[in-house]
Amino acid sequence: MRVDPSYVSNLVGSLDQAQLNEQQLTAELSSGVSFNSLSQNPVGSGENVILLNQIQQDDSFTQSSSLVTGQLQVADSTLGSVVSQLTQAISLATSANNGTMNASDVQSIGSQISGILNEVQSLANTNYQGQYIFAGGQTSTTPFTTSMGTSPGVTTYSGDEDVNYLDTPDGQKIQLNVPGNQIFSGSGSNSVFGALNGLVADYSSGTVNTSQAVSDTEALSTALNYVSQQRVTIDNSISQASAASDAVTGDQAQSTTAQTNLMQADVAQVSTQLSLAETQQTALEDVISELDSASNSLFSKIQP
Amino acid sequence: MGTINSAFSLISGALDADQAALSIIANNVANANTPGYTQETPNWKQNQPLEINGVSYGDGVTETGATSLRDSVLEERLDQQQQLASASGARLTALNSVQALFTPDSGSTSSTAGDIGSDLTGFFNSFSSLEANPTDNALRQQVLSSATTLAGDVSNAAASLNSQRSALDQEASGVTSQMNSLTSAISQLNLQIQSTSPDADGGTLEDQRDEDISQLSQLIGINQVPSENNGLSITTTSGQLLVADGTDFQLTTGSVGGVTDFFLGGSDITKQLMSGGGQLGGYLTARDSDIPTALTSLDQLAYSVSTSVNTLNNNGTDLDGVTGTANSPLYIFKEPATVAGSAANMAVVMTDPNQIAAAGQGDGTGDNSNATAMAKLTKTTSTTINNQTPTDFYSSFVSALGATVSGVQSENTAQNASVTQLQTQNNALSSVNLNDEAAAMSTLQSSYQAASQVFTMLNTIMAAAMNLGDQTTVA
Repeated sequence: MRVDPSYVSNLVGSLDQAQLNEQQLTAELSSGVSFNSLSQNPVGSGENVILLNQIQQDDSFTQSSSLVTGQLQVADSTLGSVVSQLTQAISLATSANNGTMNASDVQSIGSQISGILNEVQSLANTNYQGQYIFAGGQTSTTPFTTSMGTSPGVTTYSGDEDVNYLDTPDGQKIQLNVPGNQIFSGSGSNSVFGALNGLVADYSSGTVNTSQAVSDTEALSTALNYVSQQRVTIDNSISQASAASDAVTGDQAQSTTAQTNLMQADVAQVSTQLSLAETQQTALEDVISELDSASNSLFSKIQP
Repeated sequence: MGTINSAFSLISGALDADQAALSIIANNVANANTPGYTQETPNWKQNQPLEINGVSYGDGVTETGATSLRDSVLEERLDQQQQLASASGARLTALNSVQALFTPDSGSTSSTAGDIGSDLTGFFNSFSSLEANPTDNALRQQVLSSATTLAGDVSNAAASLNSQRSALDQEASGVTSQMNSLTSAISQLNLQIQSTSPDADGGTLEDQRDEDISQLSQLIGINQVPSENNGLSITTTSGQLLVADGTDFQLTTGSVGGVTDFFLGGSDITKQLMSGGGQLGGYLTARDSDIPTALTSLDQLAYSVSTSVNTLNNNGTDLDGVTGTANSPLYIFKEPATVAGSAANMAVVMTDPNQIAAAGQGDGTGDNSNATAMAKLTKTTSTTINNQTPTDFYSSFVSALGATVSGVQSENTAQNASVTQLQTQNNALSSVNLNDEAAAMSTLQSSYQAASQVFTMLNTIMAAAMNLGDQTTVA
């Protein structure tokens, strides 16, 4: 049987391979990442892209959600103040309607209600971070202005009916605003400003037209309930945002775990493999040097 | 015959034969490390015996030259395997450079610059954030800066791929001059071999020819066709003639469509060379197949993202209340004209964050419906990108690239193992084994000593014969 006289050079090839192996394992251990090129794990590389996308989207939504919750809470507390102003207006009007007051008292109630109207208007014109929150889509112009040129005065809405939504990662929509005219200038007896303007006009002269005043007071009461109903929409959005944020946080934790498992080097396994590779390399080096040093042909043994 | 004189000539013939054999052994040992050298064995031939009066007399031995121990079938197998291994090796080197442009993002750092997948996510997320507060200047700036990051990384990747392609082009054309000098050397050797040893093994000339063929097959895929009188024709793997006995055909290069093409006798054989093997085959496969595939994918992605975002932004209302028109469109990215080249040219042209049209057409500036629509693009499929969403498309792209590289790696490892095995077999047959030479030398030494002893004895006998009857003189 014939033998390849240059088998030592094949051993050197194996030694190179063993060194390369050792280098790769060392790189894996030092970077902590289980694969740093696409060919080491093609399917994993693709999954990694998708998982990272999911994680970063969830992260972005969590931040948007807290931003939006702040805005919604401002709207909610504003409407809360509106409700207490309107409640006060109703009790003032009721006392003026019972016929026990004199003209100057009635007029003074008229001017208090006028003050309440101004207060409610400025609440309706609330500006949050430079934007009018009850103006629909026209957030850079003041939505409500009142003109007392006629009696009763007229409050005009210069915003629009636009509603914004925030999309959640799983496709739900969270309503972010309620247009001002929907809250404050509803049709008929749902109109806050209509009722307030009416009452101001009713008490301005000091003499009360009782049926008109009572009708306007009832309208204000209806309008107050209407405002409370609109407030529920805002409250619902706040809880929706909170629930979505919780769900997203849970999703993000799962995706993060999956991504970490995919990418992270298994230190115990890599260390074992590295130790084996080092042993193999040392063994090969020993064999090569042993073969080299030993007399390697018959020539050295032949006596001349 | 049968005399003392004839014995002398027999023995001196033996001494000559031994000397000739020794010089062959010495040549073997001297060339033990010469690449491509095939060990030679001496040929012993018994001389034709003479017949006189019905009695047969032997006539000694002649050394008739050396025979090289080679197996041409084995050598051809080795060459073929080396072709394949060189091709996959060259292709693998090129592919490793390509995949280095798309290293997977470990996700452990907060800054993910450089990874196109994360850039895509960041860009579309900036629109999601804008939904919450569409008039906020900081959020609008974020849209422009994440667009710039995305465009920068995509165009850089495309630029790197293009420069890798030029580098491969240069390597491929550099192979041509080496190849041409090898083919002319082979044709010269063919002539020499055909004239000196048309019927037998060509010895060292054939060693040289085999060595040249081995080097040539690492450069380009070839087929060997033996011809008459120990000649050889060499064709490319797809049949174009490179060497026909004493004539060789030179490979020329020319620029076609921005890359170097290869011509043999006027016809463009680049496509055939690509699938042919050898380093040239590997370079050409990477240059004309692998890199263009990656570039096309990037182009498709860039085109799809740029055009879809531009179209939406142009149809909305920006912060100044303006909607885009045909004459002054509101484009975020440079609008690409064709799919080809859109990755290399991807750039952000919008500088004013107010021009981001977050609001729908005709809506107030506080509206966010267009921002919502642009954010939704991350979940929208497009025919330009194989009916996938941008992120899914990028994910498929990196998986496919990784699988290609991994496949070529496995191929290359297997082919190299096969080359090693064939090399070992070939070496076992043809390499100089010093032990064998030492043993042969020992044998020849003994036989030379024996022959010279016989010569000495014959000399003594001759002297005795000449002194027959006489006590003095010849000693």
